[in-house]
Amino acid sequence: MKLAPFANEPVLELRRAAQRRRLTDGLATLELPVHVPVWIGDERRHGEELVSTDPSAPERVVALSARATEADAEAAVAAARAAFARWASTPAEERAAALLRAAAWLRERRAELAALALRECAKPWPEADADVCEAIDFLEFYARGALELQGGEGGQPLLQVPGERNELRYVPRGVCAVISPWNFPLAIPMGMTAAALATGNTAVLKPAEQAPACGLRVVEALRAGGVPADAVALLPGEGDAGAALARHADVATIAFTGSGPVGLELLRTAAEVTEGARQLTRVVAEMGGKNCIIVDSDADLDEAIPGIVESAFGYAGQKCSAAARVLVHEAVHDALVERLTGAVAGLQLGPPEDFATDVPPVVERDARERVLRYAQLAEREGSLTTAPASSPADGWYVAPAIATGLPPESAILREEIFGPLLSVEPVRDVDEACDRVDALPVALTGGLFSRNPRVVRHVIERSPVGNLYINRSTTGAMVGRQPFGGNRLSGTGTKAGGREYLLHFVEPRVVTENTVRHGLVV
Amino acid sequence: MTEGLEDEVQRIGRAIAKAFPSHRARPLKALDDRAMDLASEDAELRAALFRFVDVVPACRSLDDLAAHLTGYLQEVDETPPPLRVAMRVADTKAGRAALGAASAAGVKHMAHRFIVGADPTDALPTLRTLWRRGIAASVDLLGEATVTSAEADRYAARCADALETLAEAFARMRPQPALERDTIGPIARANLSVKVSALTPLLRAEAPERGQRDAAPRLRELLRRARRLGAHLHIDMESLDTREAVLELVLALLAEPEFADGPSAGVVLQAYLRDSPQTLDEILDFARATPRAQPLVVRLVKGAYWDHEVVEARQHGWSVPVFERKADCDANFEALTTRLLEARPLVRVAIASHNLRSVAHAVARNRLLGGADSDLELQVLRGLGDDLGHALAASGLRVRSYCPVGDLVAGMAYLVRRLLENTSNESFLAEQAHGVPLEQLLAPPAAEAPS
Repeated sequence: MKLAPFANEPVLELRRAAQRRRLTDGLATLELPVHVPVWIGDERRHGEELVSTDPSAPERVVALSARATEADAEAAVAAARAAFARWASTPAEERAAALLRAAAWLRERRAELAALALRECAKPWPEADADVCEAIDFLEFYARGALELQGGEGGQPLLQVPGERNELRYVPRGVCAVISPWNFPLAIPMGMTAAALATGNTAVLKPAEQAPACGLRVVEALRAGGVPADAVALLPGEGDAGAALARHADVATIAFTGSGPVGLELLRTAAEVTEGARQLTRVVAEMGGKNCIIVDSDADLDEAIPGIVESAFGYAGQKCSAAARVLVHEAVHDALVERLTGAVAGLQLGPPEDFATDVPPVVERDARERVLRYAQLAEREGSLTTAPASSPADGWYVAPAIATGLPPESAILREEIFGPLLSVEPVRDVDEACDRVDALPVALTGGLFSRNPRVVRHVIERSPVGNLYINRSTTGAMVGRQPFGGNRLSGTGTKAGGREYLLHFVEPRVVTENTVRHGLVV
Repeated sequence: MTEGLEDEVQRIGRAIAKAFPSHRARPLKALDDRAMDLASEDAELRAALFRFVDVVPACRSLDDLAAHLTGYLQEVDETPPPLRVAMRVADTKAGRAALGAASAAGVKHMAHRFIVGADPTDALPTLRTLWRRGIAASVDLLGEATVTSAEADRYAARCADALETLAEAFARMRPQPALERDTIGPIARANLSVKVSALTPLLRAEAPERGQRDAAPRLRELLRRARRLGAHLHIDMESLDTREAVLELVLALLAEPEFADGPSAGVVLQAYLRDSPQTLDEILDFARATPRAQPLVVRLVKGAYWDHEVVEARQHGWSVPVFERKADCDANFEALTTRLLEARPLVRVAIASHNLRSVAHAVARNRLLGGADSDLELQVLRGLGDDLGHALAASGLRVRSYCPVGDLVAGMAYLVRRLLENTSNESFLAEQAHGVPLEQLLAPPAAEAPS
């Protein structure tokens, strides 16, 4: 099987009106609500216990979903375990071909899928379109990766000496539980599930309770592409369904993207070797960060300010890669705060279907209340400049805000807020900024605006983060270009969309054969 | 007809070349800046020097300047001898101070050639001299990017002041009949070029109406002021991301009844864009549907955002919106020139190019179409097209110099782009400076290579 080299799926050129119409047409034909079943093999159990609504208009129901029970989790894992042997022994070429057909299925429905992500998770058009593209990218990228891995090029060549033949090959681990977030409601579940399937594992997807409809489309795409029904199950539900999967003895791998507390709980659960377990559970976890952008005195503020605004307020700050803190050289601190505050004041809060929206609502009521609590704390501890944006009456809107003058021990400088709240702190120099970054227990993304090559090299040396961005925004990692994932407590050091990602879904087996018979090498 | 045209192009081109000021037959040399010469020969070095020019305004001390300069030069594989000396000098603090001072002075010296004054008043002596020598001007106010509405207001206020200052000063200049009238009628003396991206922080590629809504009141006020003062207001074009917003906004405002009698206003057409012929259709449709006392001025340029457009398209996997072969761009430039000239008196035509061939072609085509020389405006860039401008004026053609005005520091980003464009290997100025024969410079754009 010979495939063209991987290339990212091009996002729509939304500066052209015709392309914008393509998306709005997709929204016009979107039929809601979507009915999401617990879907195990060919069995669909429908239900309405779980309701996902439009964050910009909470009375609009996007999905009516069944809510997976512990028994469902049990059944899904049992089915996936039963299907494992056959899928694992399916040639990698066939598995890759199924993933590529799933990518084609997504491509044919781009506008409709973007519209669904827009409705279910309030992703503004450019982000919703990019989410569909990233889901396609993961399928295309991991399909190629699985072929490479099988070809033996994925592993390290072994030393060979006369009289023996050594071989290392990768085999799938078993059942993979995929627990995915709502903020990239198509791309992330697709990425983790595709990685598991590409390498021959079977998968049970538990999408975020805020995004069951997008989760359904992920499984539909894979099955339409030719992944056997038994090999991938959909388990819409809440935390308890995820927890049930995590402690199941037959789950070999947990692929998780989400918050730190949940991720750490999964790691603890997985570490417990349960009665009857025949395998240690591996966890691939991608958790939160407290991402800092350093601005040196020589930075081009004309570029730094739009870059910071995009990093901190794009999708209302609800990306794990979003910037939360700006550490700015004291020489340009005042100028930066003045211009940044002015830029944020112009941001438009609004529904995601409006192309003019800069900041959409946050995903749900709880999220809104959490961000507002932090905003109040910022007001008490320092000073808070809130954009005087008029917010639409409905929806979980939070006005973007900038906090300054916070004490060093403030929770706002440590805890992940996951909303449109950015803090700005002056630093004496870049080294002090690096010290502050280094003091954090998390290390996901980081940014630097500087025009001095020496400073750039120095900050590269000192940055613990998984993804460092220089003179640009800190969000928007692309499959194959910016393999994504954090270090320290931000994750298990895995890189989604990178070449080595698939290695977390396989186990290496080494075979050594003695080729000497009665003193002769045969 | 075509053959007649070609002969005429050659004849006119040679005549213009002959009219170049003799003491400056090689314009790049005339910049008396070794750096420019070195830079045009070595892409890495060019990058280093432009990164330096770009960062100068943000450096806090001479030491800081020297640190940046040597930092960039270290990334150049083969440093030319004079710069190696500079890097050795930077090993000591005193050396760095000297190097910083020298390089800052060098950049400032260079910037003075492109930026005619810190503000419009400061620019007046130069503008008067140009006028006296038969060259009109369009003033362009440089400044930092607009990211807040306060910055948009400040830029609009600077534009308003500039209109006042220019109108008053130009009113007192003595008549230059060749610059003040064409077949259609009188031509405004005071002329200001403005950028919509500086009039609003809200230009969004995917939501053009957003920036339009925000910029409209500021631009409308400028149009009113220009009308009252009898000045011309030209709206520049920037990257493709903002084209729809800018063009729609300008045409919509000019269609408002209050502007039917004025002011004189203009837009820009970028010939490097593959779909520029369709953009010209839009402009001409507007002009046909919207009779105005003063026809719309269309300034035809090659376009100054070529690298940006190519990089953006490549990064996103889009088809590249600009011509990637210089000859294709040149051929399109000539085709658009012809269409514009034929569209008169629906529009007035300004051809802005430093390419001798393109300019000669426009002059020849205009004459063959029976136009008077005054019916065609030729524009050059201050600092780069000065010699060409003087040669054109000496040939009796109507010339306008596009003159950046503003703080040298804030003008740096602008400067870098211009320098980059004009020292690129295929640039006409670079070719001319390096002694490419005239026949070659005047040759018609080669046809598309068979693919």
